[in-house]
Amino acid sequence: MELPAVRLPNVNAPEPVAGAWSAVQRRLHGTYVVDEWGCDTEVLDAVSHLAKLRWQVSIGGAEHVPPFGPAVLVCNTRPFTAMPLLMALALHLRTGRAVRVAGVPDIAPFGPALRRIGGVLSRPDEVAGLLRAGHVVALACSGSLRRSERVGTVRNQLMTPALDTGAPVLPVAVIASPLARTARVEVGAPVHRRGVRGPLAEAELADAAREGVQRLLDEATPPRWLLGG
Amino acid sequence: MTGQRVLISGMGGELGSRVAALLEAEPWVGAIEGIDLDPPRRRLRRAHFHRIEPHDRRRMVDVVTRFDPHLVLHLGVYEPNARANPAKARERSRDASLGVLGAAAECPSLEGIVVRSGIEVYGRHRNAPTRPDEEVAPHPTTTFGHLMLQAEELAHEAAATVGCPVTAVRLASVVGPHVPSPLGRYLRLPVVPMSVLADPAFSLVHVEDAARALVAACSTRWNGPVNVVAPGAVTTYQAVRLGGRVPLPLFGPEWMLARAITAAAGAPVPDHVLELVHRGRTADGSLAHHALGLSPVSTTPDVVKALYKWATVTHLTPVKAVA
Repeated sequence: MELPAVRLPNVNAPEPVAGAWSAVQRRLHGTYVVDEWGCDTEVLDAVSHLAKLRWQVSIGGAEHVPPFGPAVLVCNTRPFTAMPLLMALALHLRTGRAVRVAGVPDIAPFGPALRRIGGVLSRPDEVAGLLRAGHVVALACSGSLRRSERVGTVRNQLMTPALDTGAPVLPVAVIASPLARTARVEVGAPVHRRGVRGPLAEAELADAAREGVQRLLDEATPPRWLLGG
Repeated sequence: MTGQRVLISGMGGELGSRVAALLEAEPWVGAIEGIDLDPPRRRLRRAHFHRIEPHDRRRMVDVVTRFDPHLVLHLGVYEPNARANPAKARERSRDASLGVLGAAAECPSLEGIVVRSGIEVYGRHRNAPTRPDEEVAPHPTTTFGHLMLQAEELAHEAAATVGCPVTAVRLASVVGPHVPSPLGRYLRLPVVPMSVLADPAFSLVHVEDAARALVAACSTRWNGPVNVVAPGAVTTYQAVRLGGRVPLPLFGPEWMLARAITAAAGAPVPDHVLELVHRGRTADGSLAHHALGLSPVSTTPDVVKALYKWATVTHLTPVKAVA
């Protein structure tokens, strides 16, 4: 949607002030853009920059994320943490792509609020629609509190859209803890897939993605005995 | 394909009148006959109109079977609180669908049925897909959704007896300055109640795009459902501000009072509009390009802007008194 020209209070105002003023104008006039899933890129930008104040995230392998077109990111998570969201915000700042994190609750006010920053439902048809529209979707492996070093599984059915659309599946390891300020996001190369479809292909793709995340996680956090600790 | 006889049920509505006017210009169309409760809203040159009450099934069947159409375009699904209250809309829709589609099944020349449906058939129950495509099974959660799904099912039953294709054109909410629509009236209120906890995105379609899609469905004879949705989406707050209206944020229980006040103000909010405001409503319309050979031209924000465009009344001073 083409945005109408907005009159700024001072043409010589510094760029951030002018940008903020035009953003306020767009809010007041309703001329900002929200996509069909409820994502508002201006809100996403603002939240990503706010998150930078709390977390210092270093990213490796961001070049694996395609600059355009669909992709599926499979990442690790732990209960009661926002690791997929942290990864999505960090990758958005680095690559400029809005990463759609699957798994938001479909209940107000949490669902609609998370949708504004790219959250979507964790359903195969939802993921399929996003991939058809060329979005990057993040799927989280199930996590465990007790064995945080072990990556859980990802639902096989969520891999069907990736097989149908041919979207690359990238493993992503997120190393973060709730209290620490620093975090690390490591994006791996696309996992290899066979050129077939079906339940077995879905399971194999899910396993390959999970193993890819585990490998990245093992490389990023080697066991303490190996470090002599 | 020339000289095709086309029967339009629901010709009296804004959409039906526009579709009839477009069909009159199609080279493959021979005769056009229309049925509705109200007369067409624009001048039609070739189409022949029959004013029939939906409950007058005998007359409806007589008109349909005598015309023996090649194509039936069924637009006779009445939106609650658009031209009739919900109870009457339900009754009229059921009667019109049964009368027209039932009679169509007895016409020997029938080659196709196009039925006006809507994306309300997908429903917006909890955890329903946000942007369903045609492969998602219908699961309506509102009266309007149920009425349109019933019309689709009746069309399939009728088509099965004859062995012809059915195109279910699932339109997003059709709004416009001249379209009688509860959503349009609600958004044009000077102060618009909106949910502050959930301000979800929804998509619309311009009446012109909807009419073009229905005409394309008549000529292509696509067999199956097809979503027709304008690109893009807006939230209620966005729509209200695009129209320069004042949003009134509500949390939940006060919606009952708000609905009573808006009804008194001439803009009753039926369940499908309330659902749209709270849960959003959009659909994947990418199949339309392949199935119908066209895509909506106006985006959803364009449709909202057009909704608020009213031609001003210009008072003319008579040059000379004639009486």
